[in-house]
Amino acid sequence: MQRFDRVTVFCLLLGVAVFGIAAGLFALGPIPDFVPVLVLGAMFVVAENQLADIRSDIGASASAMLSTAAVVVFWKQSPLLGPLLVGLFGGLYWPHIVARDWRKILFNSANFALATLAAALVFGVLAPANLSTPLVLLLLALPTGVAALTVDLALFSIVVRLATGESLPLRTVGATILQSYPFSVLGAYLGLLYLDYGAVLVPLFVVPILVARQTFSSYLALKESQEAAVRTLIGALEAKDPYTAGHAERVAGYAQYIGEELGMPPSRLERLRFAALMHDVGKLVVPNHLLNKKGKLTAEEFAAVRLHEEVSVEILTRIDFLAPVAPSATSEAAEFAPVADDRGQPIEPHIVAVADAFDAMTSTRSYRKALPQQTAFNELRKNSGKQFHPRVVDALIIAIEQRNEQHGAGHEDVVHHADAPEAGTGSAGLGDLLVDAENGSEQKAGR
Amino acid sequence: MTIARRLFIVFVMGAIAAGVAELVDPGGTSTALVILGAAIVAGELLVLRPAERAPLPLSYAVVLVLVRITSPAEFMVTVFAAEMVAYLFRPERSEWDRVWLTAIRLGAAIAAYFVYDAAFDVMRGLDSRAVVLTALAAAGVAEILVDELLQVVRARRLYLSTQGRSADLALITSGMLMSVGYKGIGGQEGIGLWGPLLFSIPLLAAWYSFERLASIRRTYEQTIAALSVVPELAGLVRPGHAQRVADLAVSLGHELHMSHRDVEYLQAAALLHHLGHLCLDDPEVRGRAIEPSEVTDKGAEILRQTEYLRPAGDLLASDTASVGSQILRVASAFDELTAGDPAFNDAAIEALYSGPGYVYDPRVLDALERVCSSDAKVPARV
Repeated sequence: MQRFDRVTVFCLLLGVAVFGIAAGLFALGPIPDFVPVLVLGAMFVVAENQLADIRSDIGASASAMLSTAAVVVFWKQSPLLGPLLVGLFGGLYWPHIVARDWRKILFNSANFALATLAAALVFGVLAPANLSTPLVLLLLALPTGVAALTVDLALFSIVVRLATGESLPLRTVGATILQSYPFSVLGAYLGLLYLDYGAVLVPLFVVPILVARQTFSSYLALKESQEAAVRTLIGALEAKDPYTAGHAERVAGYAQYIGEELGMPPSRLERLRFAALMHDVGKLVVPNHLLNKKGKLTAEEFAAVRLHEEVSVEILTRIDFLAPVAPSATSEAAEFAPVADDRGQPIEPHIVAVADAFDAMTSTRSYRKALPQQTAFNELRKNSGKQFHPRVVDALIIAIEQRNEQHGAGHEDVVHHADAPEAGTGSAGLGDLLVDAENGSEQKAGR
Repeated sequence: MTIARRLFIVFVMGAIAAGVAELVDPGGTSTALVILGAAIVAGELLVLRPAERAPLPLSYAVVLVLVRITSPAEFMVTVFAAEMVAYLFRPERSEWDRVWLTAIRLGAAIAAYFVYDAAFDVMRGLDSRAVVLTALAAAGVAEILVDELLQVVRARRLYLSTQGRSADLALITSGMLMSVGYKGIGGQEGIGLWGPLLFSIPLLAAWYSFERLASIRRTYEQTIAALSVVPELAGLVRPGHAQRVADLAVSLGHELHMSHRDVEYLQAAALLHHLGHLCLDDPEVRGRAIEPSEVTDKGAEILRQTEYLRPAGDLLASDTASVGSQILRVASAFDELTAGDPAFNDAAIEALYSGPGYVYDPRVLDALERVCSSDAKVPARV
């Protein structure tokens, strides 16, 4: 409650500040023309409503473009108040209006207004008398865009800190500036065109950007539903072996933790998650009675079970996106060999191996009950640098401890067979790490 | 060679050619024409790939700049030279495809030029700003229409989709802006080559989005296809069965005028129609043989669990009798009989018509006969 109040107070203060500035500028004049404020404001509203579901850096590009355009359009006529008024439109996000979330609307409007005002100030100081050479625009768009982004990010990080106590990761700021720079240049030119031709060219300008947006959001939607479909499919197929049901999804989750901890970019995380989800797909070719067999397998049966890794690789290789990390499915490739320089080698197989081993130890299998989380950690640490990649092991342990999660004995979602032995040599979860209860020595399952 | 490397080579070659043009003809228009020609080559490498539509090259936008600033001879030379260079860089494997695409692009560009001129003549004397914009829009539409028409002739299939239309719009509007930026309109001066450069930004953003969309679709299709071979790897069905049934089912779906979306579901259902087998116990364990309907019902049960594949699951379930599920039954039974060997096609069709034990839908069987007898291979993949 305390935090909520602080955020509200901050938003109100911001709103009052913007109102005060606007009132002062009104008193000083000149008052901007009505039409360009509405046209550019409407573009801002459209852009914000279209883009809100999209990655923030693309959203930043659109607002950079529109604020720079507003700055140029009003530069001669109403250099400060015009851009400020256009910026106010940026907060009109339909879902917020429907939800009557006035606080967010207030914050966003004030934020965009102040960011655009900052851009206008920088532009006003730097701009020469004659704008129409492209080089001038190219040079001016950078500081103008940076000014708007700086104010935007600063205010946003304050409100995030007030609301959640977390600070915004700043490492992406450079990339955001680089990405939005071309759009600032484009916005500056849009401003010039507007001054020359009026609103005629605006629709032409908006269409390709809207198409890009629309396509990108349908990409995101499709990605989500297809990923869900593959997840369900794998889960349903896995269900034939009650001991490992949910295994792939959990391994994908742990792999995601590790990838995030190691600072992987989103596209690589996506591939990692997908590869982890599919890593055991070859197990589907193993007959059920072998998977669930208690006790030792015959040599023949064992060979049939072993085949599944090859099948997994074969299947992963058929998917272009996953082919580079297809070895994730074999225990050989995942085996950590301490070499001086492992750069250039994909780390994904090691991640899948550690995630796989951790889940195998912390869930009940046909050959033994789940181990406590701490035992699993100790096992991973003991083999860190030998069987497992040390950085990956550390990343998993840090990620799980940071999240205060508990897995393993007593914390399983579903325990399928309460009568599983406390310990034993199993066959199903290949690559599992076992702790033999009698002598405490560990061995790789099925080896 | 990756697209990025091809683009780099085009960029370097374009820069060198522009330098030479500037030396030979300082201050003339040939430098700009060389650069725009290079832009056409680059635009041929970057294509918008909306679903259900032949890919559209970004070069169509650059053509709208050329139609305004060149004489007919200059236009022909520039476009023809650019297309010849682009021909060498085209990533398509087959020679035939490359020739076809070059012809389509040339046809579309020439159509754009003549339509622009004609539209300009018709509207002589009107407000020049409106005239230029309308003529440019007409040229853009002409380009797209000619492309579409020639693609239909080539693939013998009409592509229609909203996604395709939005790609058209993005191309035409960007091209118009590039053109206006280059030369200006209504007495206003343009900014030369900066115009096309600046207005390529939103178009490139659109291209990027379409690429992402196409890549996620490809990944998904490959995932389904990869899962489809699992029953084969497990030795439960003949190798290649799933893919053959899927290809045949897609052909039959087109033959029976199913919608694109329904054909996609049909394809997924066909690819995964043996998946349920993996979840059934072995006959030795359960003590009796596995019925085919058990396999498809189990598969349907699995697919119906996912929002995205539910319609495909419905096609598999034995309690449905849609055209799609009839097609699946016919395609699967046909492949069981022929095992992919066309020598058995006629005998298999005969056997299905007489249908001992099960009566197949005669409409689907007629379509099967037509598909098998047509020499021209209908493109199987959607």
